[in-house]
Amino acid sequence: MQTKVLSGNEALAYGALQAGVKVVTGYPGTPSTGALTSLLAMDLPGRHVEWSVNEKVAFEIAAGAAWAGQRALCTMKMSGLNVAYDSLISIAYSGCNGGLVIYVADDPGASAGMAEQDTRGFALMSDLPMLEPSSVGDTYRLTQVAFELSERVKTPVFIRLVASIANAKIALKIDDLLPPAERTPTLERNIAKYTKAGAAICITQHQDVIARLEKASEVIHEMGLNSLQLAEKPGGLGIVAVGAAAAYLEEAFDLAVEYGLDKTEVSVLRTVTTTPFPTVDVQRLFAHCNFILTLEELEPYLERGVYIQAHRAGFTGKIIGKLDDGPLSRVGEYDVDHVLQGLNTALGLGIPVDHFKGNRATETLAARRPITVCAGCPHRGTYMAINQAIQNLNLDKDNVMVTGDIGCTILGMNPPFNTVWTEVSMGASVSLAQGYVHGGVRTPVIATIGDSTFFHAGIPGLLNAIQHQTPLTVVIMDNGWTSMTGMQVNPGTDETFQQSGGRRIDLAKVIPGLGIDQFFVIDPYDLKGATSIIEGCLTLPGVKVVLSRRECAIQAMRQGKHAGNVRLIPEKCILCKQCITATGCPALSIEAESIAIDPALCNGCGLCAAVCPTGALEKEDGT
Amino acid sequence: MSYDIYLVGVGGQGILTLADLIMRAAVHKGHPVSFFPTKGMAQRGGFVKAELRLGRAGVGPHIRESGAHLVLAMERSEALKGVRYARPEGDFLLYGHVWEPTAVMLGEAPYPPLESVLEAIRVSNARLVYLDPKELAKIDGAYVAANVFVLGAAFGNTRLGEVLSAHEMIEVVQARWPHRAKHNAAAFDAGLRVRGTS
Repeated sequence: MQTKVLSGNEALAYGALQAGVKVVTGYPGTPSTGALTSLLAMDLPGRHVEWSVNEKVAFEIAAGAAWAGQRALCTMKMSGLNVAYDSLISIAYSGCNGGLVIYVADDPGASAGMAEQDTRGFALMSDLPMLEPSSVGDTYRLTQVAFELSERVKTPVFIRLVASIANAKIALKIDDLLPPAERTPTLERNIAKYTKAGAAICITQHQDVIARLEKASEVIHEMGLNSLQLAEKPGGLGIVAVGAAAAYLEEAFDLAVEYGLDKTEVSVLRTVTTTPFPTVDVQRLFAHCNFILTLEELEPYLERGVYIQAHRAGFTGKIIGKLDDGPLSRVGEYDVDHVLQGLNTALGLGIPVDHFKGNRATETLAARRPITVCAGCPHRGTYMAINQAIQNLNLDKDNVMVTGDIGCTILGMNPPFNTVWTEVSMGASVSLAQGYVHGGVRTPVIATIGDSTFFHAGIPGLLNAIQHQTPLTVVIMDNGWTSMTGMQVNPGTDETFQQSGGRRIDLAKVIPGLGIDQFFVIDPYDLKGATSIIEGCLTLPGVKVVLSRRECAIQAMRQGKHAGNVRLIPEKCILCKQCITATGCPALSIEAESIAIDPALCNGCGLCAAVCPTGALEKEDGT
Repeated sequence: MSYDIYLVGVGGQGILTLADLIMRAAVHKGHPVSFFPTKGMAQRGGFVKAELRLGRAGVGPHIRESGAHLVLAMERSEALKGVRYARPEGDFLLYGHVWEPTAVMLGEAPYPPLESVLEAIRVSNARLVYLDPKELAKIDGAYVAANVFVLGAAFGNTRLGEVLSAHEMIEVVQARWPHRAKHNAAAFDAGLRVRGTS
């Protein structure tokens, strides 16, 4: 045993190692990224860990390994699960051989942006068991359970975290790591299991997947994973809690005691799954309690199950939660006050409303702080060039659709650029843009997308545009890294950083091979050159692709590379602030007599110098 | 003992590192601790927060509104986002550094005056400790790391020192950056000795 300070993501990684995982794949996505990152940082002979090109590919690799009899883990955020789902349904119906675990992280509160999607809905749709740890410690334990459950039932198993568990850290006792038991891969030829050849096979598989979930429910019960504490005295409140909400129960009890709660009169079921539904335990709660409080973040999946079981049991007591005008919200993250509010309503504790709210009145005075790209970010030059090109053509920026995509490139929606209009899903910029064209938009339509996003799901959209010769300009902002999620390697990353034996795929070679007539490579630090190319593209017919290429400034700086130096000649500065207005660069600020450059931040990209009208900023080339 | 700390600031100020140091000190002392830093959109120049919950095992990572025994703010405007978490009679340490967003710098957006921020904190009934950023110590003519200085100030000006000892905290800071040990000890010590105003 050893004690380590671990996040939920890391606890999940250690749990998987402890379970003897052989193959780990994933695609980065906050809040799930840390699990695979921590494994990549370890020396793990005999195991394979990789960032795959997208979640669907990642999941298929993991499934292949599990079909060959190995234990495999696949990691992603909730949006990634949407991408993987086509294969996931197929594989759910086939089942698995070795243990197959899918780690998905939801983000109640949407602290990383995107959607408050509750992926428990996917467990319902695929009839797959989904374990929902309520703490970092739980995560370590339940990850190991997930592999065991998967192998005993021969089904893929989800483990679902939320942001506050994935990224919270605690000191955790973990077992000493054992090398994974060697398994000889198996090749099983079984058409009825591994293919969908005909209705008979498909229908049998449907029956099988239903039966496996039933079996999983029995195994979970037998393993004693759920905890049910019945009050000595019947007739009181029964609580059913799952996931992060369950972590606040004890604290809420302590607070509620001050308002007259008698803890010994409350029965509590902490379930580790919503699917399969903890039917037996909930029925015991109905038999013992007169009214029920359900506690879960986001959608009322657990609560709906409780209603169904209540109907079956003929339970007529009140069920308190989100449905039936309940006090709890389907929106946002929970803390102890949500649980307390539930107790308050259920038990009529009479806790005054102001108990639940801190003083928010003055928060609106806080300055708005929209985030922008980093100092030296090559994307800055691309946005500036797009804006300049639109202006040079005497087009109104409000009439030029620029679709955006996922990742750092989306920051083009913020000031000072205000370039990008949309953010949908990985790769959607390229196809959405085609829709605008076919929708009759007469002004040029531009799609912007980052390199990793393009590899992930942008390529099919581009193929479609080429096939149909839909006139548009696609700007691929290639900084060589999957940056927004914390600098992961992607297919276009320099070969030095690829895993041993890995190869870099050069977009400058791939794209011309697709049959693009108008293909240009630009350097976003060269504002004049970049603007002129983009301007040209906006007037040309057909599909134009601009590859705007420069390594991510953060990664370049880490390698000791400087784009150059920008020298300030203060006596020439007239404080017109054009440099700040156009670039919004965090390295620039305003002082009494002139602007100032923070030398610790500036990497010498020179974009400020390119817009300075008086020559007060001078670019000197660097290494 | 349970002691909750809510930290707010701007990415690049070292606030997550500061929180991480407190966590390490607590772990070292054998206190249960949960540390939840913001991830995702947090970057240099963006809003950053962290939640530290000391002394309670198996606790959820979020601090309730009006629940923080200590709110530690490293930027004047962002301090306002900590106010709702301030516990009446708890401590609120504001290191009043001003980090202006671009729109403010260009005169296109307002930035809260110091007095409004101090008043907002006072209204929450927390014990205000205001630390003027001009107090930031210098060693050999150069400013020390603000986060280590503010950490020292938290020990010198709030009840954090009743939960963890300044002595043990310094050891953790030194162990984190061994070749800056002396420098950081001096920065921490300067913070420890500075007196904030209410």
